[in-house]
Amino acid sequence: MSIQNTWNETNHPQDDDLASLLQASRLSKMSSHNPLEKIKRNLLINMCWGVLICIFYLFLLFYFRVWQIQLCVVLVLFFSLWALYTAFVQYKRIHAAVLPGNNVLQELKRHYDSITEWMKIQQQVALFIYPVSATGGFMLGGISGSNKSVEVFMNKPGILLALCIALVILVPACWYVTKWMFNYSFGKHMKVLKENIQMLEE
Amino acid sequence: MSEAAFLEQVRQNQGIIYKLVGLYATDAEEKKDLYQEIVLQAWKGWPSFRQEAKFSTWLYRICLNTILTQRRKQHRIDYKDSLESISPAVQNKVVQQEDVMRLQLAIRQLAETDRAIISMHLDGYDNPEIGDMMGISNNHVAVKLHRIKQQLSQLLKA
Repeated sequence: MSIQNTWNETNHPQDDDLASLLQASRLSKMSSHNPLEKIKRNLLINMCWGVLICIFYLFLLFYFRVWQIQLCVVLVLFFSLWALYTAFVQYKRIHAAVLPGNNVLQELKRHYDSITEWMKIQQQVALFIYPVSATGGFMLGGISGSNKSVEVFMNKPGILLALCIALVILVPACWYVTKWMFNYSFGKHMKVLKENIQMLEE
Repeated sequence: MSEAAFLEQVRQNQGIIYKLVGLYATDAEEKKDLYQEIVLQAWKGWPSFRQEAKFSTWLYRICLNTILTQRRKQHRIDYKDSLESISPAVQNKVVQQEDVMRLQLAIRQLAETDRAIISMHLDGYDNPEIGDMMGISNNHVAVKLHRIKQQLSQLLKA
């Protein structure tokens, strides 16, 4: 059996189901399942939520006239704006469509790097924003629920201890949960991308 | 260039898509998803297509870039296209079709990047063209092709 002759014999009869996709009306309705396209969509949703959350923080800032709460809210607002900015920068940087001018190796690396960068940003957010939000929420919930001032509420050693324990648990938990979710969503894909890059570079 | 012209070009060259998708898709559903994704990516890249280049080569590149960067099912491919659909008229033809299927099955067992390299080689692309499309040197292509052919021969003997 000659490999070349056999390959030349290969004929691919038209698949009506697939051929039906080649219609002008269908073309505009197609949506991409490209991982980078999904990440871009995800970033856009994150940014929309980020804007809404920042507006909510601004409301809190003017609603609660307690300087400790305001300080926490300003901190959370600062980190949220930073997260919003980094999400925007990455959103602009990611080119979701396949670049026809790139060779396979370049495309594999571009995808791998873009997904890795997105993951890093998500982990940074998990590390810096969630704990600060948790602290702010803890204080806000505490003083609202107990009807006490921040000084009185935070003065109890038990509350401070609870806050510290919550932070010690929350920070690594958020980090690991983000990492786990990333691996769950992209772990196998990243492994295949890396293997293919290594195969071409070896 | 219009949408109609694009679709006509794809129709004329859709054998490339069928062939490459067939080497990577694990089932009919994935085949359809990949096909659709390739057409969509080609459509998005269409404005950058220079008319002096060969459309088939450009489409080949789009296909490989799309397939290899797409999140796909990872279980081993062992599905076969049904022989019944071929409706053999003569015994000779059946043997030929069996060889085609054996070859496709063997190629599907190769590493993903090796499948791309061997299909380009069998489709008549020379080593510099394969190297350019894959992003590796000519020597590397030659070495890889040698290894892939050995591997293929073993798989076909098995």
